[in-house]
Amino acid sequence: MKTPKSTVQKIFRNAILSLFIYALPVILMFITFYIKGEKPWLKKDTKQQTISQQKQKDQ
Amino acid sequence: MIKFIEEIFRNLNTWGLTALTFILGFAEFSLGLYGKKWSKNERLLDIACYTVPKLVVGPAVAYFGLKFLPHAFPAAKGTLSWIPFTFGALIIAIADDLTQYWYHRLHHEIPWLWRFHRTHHSAPYMGMAMASRQNIWYTFFFSQTYVTTILVYLGLGYPALFVKAIKSLITKLAHSSIPWDRPFYQIKWLHPIAWVLERTISTPATHHAHHADVTDDGVGYYKGNFGNMFFLWDIIFDTAHISRQYPKSYGISHYEGDEWYAQLFWPVLKSNIAGSELSAEGPIVREDVPKQFANEDDQEERSEELLLQPSLVAATSTNPSILQ
Repeated sequence: MKTPKSTVQKIFRNAILSLFIYALPVILMFITFYIKGEKPWLKKDTKQQTISQQKQKDQ
Repeated sequence: MIKFIEEIFRNLNTWGLTALTFILGFAEFSLGLYGKKWSKNERLLDIACYTVPKLVVGPAVAYFGLKFLPHAFPAAKGTLSWIPFTFGALIIAIADDLTQYWYHRLHHEIPWLWRFHRTHHSAPYMGMAMASRQNIWYTFFFSQTYVTTILVYLGLGYPALFVKAIKSLITKLAHSSIPWDRPFYQIKWLHPIAWVLERTISTPATHHAHHADVTDDGVGYYKGNFGNMFFLWDIIFDTAHISRQYPKSYGISHYEGDEWYAQLFWPVLKSNIAGSELSAEGPIVREDVPKQFANEDDQEERSEELLLQPSLVAATSTNPSILQ
């Protein structure tokens, strides 16, 4: 039993739109950061560095 | 205040949602909402589907999150923990629920996948008893579970705590046989809220329509309404049907009570019901049994229902040919 061609076509069309929806919150987030001039991922890098430095010190 | 809300969600995820399931289930049963359809076979299936995945799938997901991911991608742990809560919650909600929408929709639209999802639809009633009713493989490969586990591993565990609880609440209430959404359709000033609500999240009316044993009768629509937490996906992808009514009967029109173990473990175990989709020689997808010809009693009952409708009583008194 095969899936009707029209169903397969609709699935593909909707799947492409879904990729955009998956990306939407990430795009919105980076637009917000750009407007606010924030770079929170850099803060995380600093924090990680501090932790790794701490580990080195401990060793 | 934030601590208090956080505590509520923590408790919901640990014991609260389970308690809610039992309280709702008890209320449904006490109100007689399962009718006489909760036979021994259905009861065994519902109980097995509630417990077995917790013993089998739970440890598998735990292994994936606690052992496999740290072993395969040790450097990735917590790399997204810098994402603010609001965006983290939005990312998790969309990633989890849209993935489940697709998983669910494909099991309806790709014929060879249907039998893995059939167990959820064979229940001739709605309620907490059947909310977790799934074939074991369908539960095992629940794609959104793994997507969310990956996102938690990457650092979105805190927003996941809230999204998981809200999603679980919405989906449980959408499966419940208590129609909590009815006042929104009956009370006129609540109509604008109903309009937004039924397009945003799954409600009993829209999700019950998905579980109807007929489709395209104006109420039942098992060919769509695939959304779990968000109904918005059905609106966007044109798979939605909103009627603000509840189907008269649920399940699969040709269901003859396949053994509970066959429904849980198919294709490892097969049904002994001849002609069933789960039997060894059964069709991949069996055609619906037209309801009006299913049996004579149903036909008589339907005619009585039609005659009892006030508008038809008035119409037939002037034009008797309307019922022919």
